[in-house]
Amino acid sequence: MVEGRYFYPNATHFVEARAEAGEGRVLRIADGAGAVLAEVPGKAVRATARLASLPRRFDLPDGARFDTPDNDGADALLRALGKTVSGRITDRLERAWPVVILSLVITLAAGYYLLVQAIPAASEWLARRTPPAVAHIMTEQTLMALDRFALGPTKLSAADQARATKLFQDVAAHSRGGQGAYRLVFRHDKPGGVGPNAFALPDGTIVMTDSLWPLVKDDSEIEGVFAHEMSHVDHAHGLQRIYAASLFPAILALVTGDVSNVSQMTAVLPGIIAQSAYSRSFETQADDDGAATLRRMGLKPSHMADLLERIEKSVCKKDHPCVKSWLGDHPDTDLRAARLRHEDIGPIDDHLNCWEPWKTGISLRCLGFTAN
Amino acid sequence: MTHAVAFHGKGTEYFRIWIVNVALTVMTLGIYSAWAKVRTQRYFYGNTYLAGHSFEYHAKAWRILLGRAIALVLLVGYTVSAILLPVTMGMWILLLAAALPWLVRSAIRFNARNTSWRNVRFNFQASFFEAFMAYVVWSVVAVSVFPLIPYARRIHDYFYVNHHSFGGRKFATDFSVGRTYLIYLYGFLAIVALLVAIIAAAFAIISAQTYLHDFLSHIPFPAITLDYPVLTAVALGLGGLFVATFVATMVTNLVIGNTTLEGGHSLASNASPWRVGWIVVSNTVLTLATLGLFYPFARIRLARYRMGRYALHAASDLDDFTSEALAQQSAIGQEIAGFFDLGFGL
Ligand SMILES: [Zn+2]
Repeated sequence: MVEGRYFYPNATHFVEARAEAGEGRVLRIADGAGAVLAEVPGKAVRATARLASLPRRFDLPDGARFDTPDNDGADALLRALGKTVSGRITDRLERAWPVVILSLVITLAAGYYLLVQAIPAASEWLARRTPPAVAHIMTEQTLMALDRFALGPTKLSAADQARATKLFQDVAAHSRGGQGAYRLVFRHDKPGGVGPNAFALPDGTIVMTDSLWPLVKDDSEIEGVFAHEMSHVDHAHGLQRIYAASLFPAILALVTGDVSNVSQMTAVLPGIIAQSAYSRSFETQADDDGAATLRRMGLKPSHMADLLERIEKSVCKKDHPCVKSWLGDHPDTDLRAARLRHEDIGPIDDHLNCWEPWKTGISLRCLGFTAN
Repeated sequence: MTHAVAFHGKGTEYFRIWIVNVALTVMTLGIYSAWAKVRTQRYFYGNTYLAGHSFEYHAKAWRILLGRAIALVLLVGYTVSAILLPVTMGMWILLLAAALPWLVRSAIRFNARNTSWRNVRFNFQASFFEAFMAYVVWSVVAVSVFPLIPYARRIHDYFYVNHHSFGGRKFATDFSVGRTYLIYLYGFLAIVALLVAIIAAAFAIISAQTYLHDFLSHIPFPAITLDYPVLTAVALGLGGLFVATFVATMVTNLVIGNTTLEGGHSLASNASPWRVGWIVVSNTVLTLATLGLFYPFARIRLARYRMGRYALHAASDLDDFTSEALAQQSAIGQEIAGFFDLGFGL
């Protein structure tokens, strides 16, 4: 006998009632005076699954309903009606603290694994399998957009261009992809735009801005920059970043299930932190590879460090105040320079400073992630 | 007679449901997420009481799973083509504009028809044309002519409330558009105040630091360094979240406070926008600081306050409502809408 309330078919009108399983697995509902309100074969009754201490509901085929706060009574009634008690396992799981703690461990481990291993690995897998034709289209479109807003036709003399191209080909011959894999392109940078810079595009095109050239004091400095950018091309870092940026929110949405309920900031900030960590590890990798290429050519990586510092000085003097941030795309210049100077001797065993993240930024390497 | 709404959910209880849901979702590679959603919705609806009876959520998990699968395919298609061929963006925008009214309508309708109170279901009935006007035409107008944003907001609110019904009786809301404009004016002023405050604070910190630096540079003392870009971004993000919540709460108070239900009943909503703003901002900070583990407590905390500020002024004992005959609805529209983070509620 289970105490509860009987609601008339599809109506808000109800009376206090009792339910029991009668002869032949029939659900019988009667009011306080004993008058039978409903008599329905158990098979036709649909009951809700147990969840916390919510009232249990029995839906009858005619739209009537019986509900009761007595969950154990409801389970017993369902068994007496010969019905399976649905949701019982989930309910037990949700009640048992060891299961809750196990779930917590699984969730944290899965989150760690996704962030540190799965997303980078999946992005790399996708980046390696992106057809060259697609990478080419993307490059064309990016360059078109840049030309419209930040870049213009180069103003470097033909002699300067020829010299830069010759150095570029030297470096290419010592890089992983070989001479055919990269293409050097010159562009004038509009004021307030990208400044003295060089960047790699997905199909192997490397753009050098005009204002970088006068800052170069020694050939091996610009060769270091080319070697760094070629490493970005070799590892398809640009594509990897794009894939990681789209995988992150998709996975978060899938796991939490309720994007609309997650407060915007709680979803955005971890995304930015993860992106900046991926990006920094790419930059460190490109610096290391670039240094290795220079050493193969018999040159000193510390020249790259000199140029980095000179670029920063020239940029920071102007209207930009140079601010350091843990969420930047690149590790701090002082750090990169120090690391490059170490590489004069040979490849350095990774000694990242993981305990002072305000200095190095949050690096995934500290969490055990190694780029390859 | 006035009946206050009350929320009885408990943080630790929901935490256990939530963490088991997340773990099962992870272990089933996302498939369990549909069942997780149903359990979550049932928990929140089932703990929301009005006049001694709780609300109930009736959606079937497999329908949600189907919708989610379709949404995922669309999302992947969209992402891949947007990255690889930005030219196709135009096609996606057209597709979205064409599908949006249908998505909005089915999302709201699915939710309404799967919600009941005292054995009677809610309903939502609007034509494709009405949804098209409210969500495509007026959205485009609002985006192109900013001063019309509050006006478009009122159109959305009317669309949402005035097509809802309970037991065949219609909800209706009506208020002057001037009041929506006033709320948006407050929001605008709050944004201006926020920017001024951030600039002033940055200025104060920098000058204090320069002074300290000059003063302390002779003693070996670690320089105090602050990450200005991150600090500014966090201040802007949290401040913006506060203002957005503030405005949204005032709009909800306005819309719900002017809503009537056929039969002489009316609704009330008197949440303090300051309080809701504070709860949402502190919830966000705590959720971030605990790597997301505070999230279930945050939801309960917000629901407790927010739900408790709704009320119903009933003209009768509410004993005379009966459901309309309803056809089964598909969850596909709702789930696609949910997946793309299109909230159409209040
Ligand atoms: Zn780089």
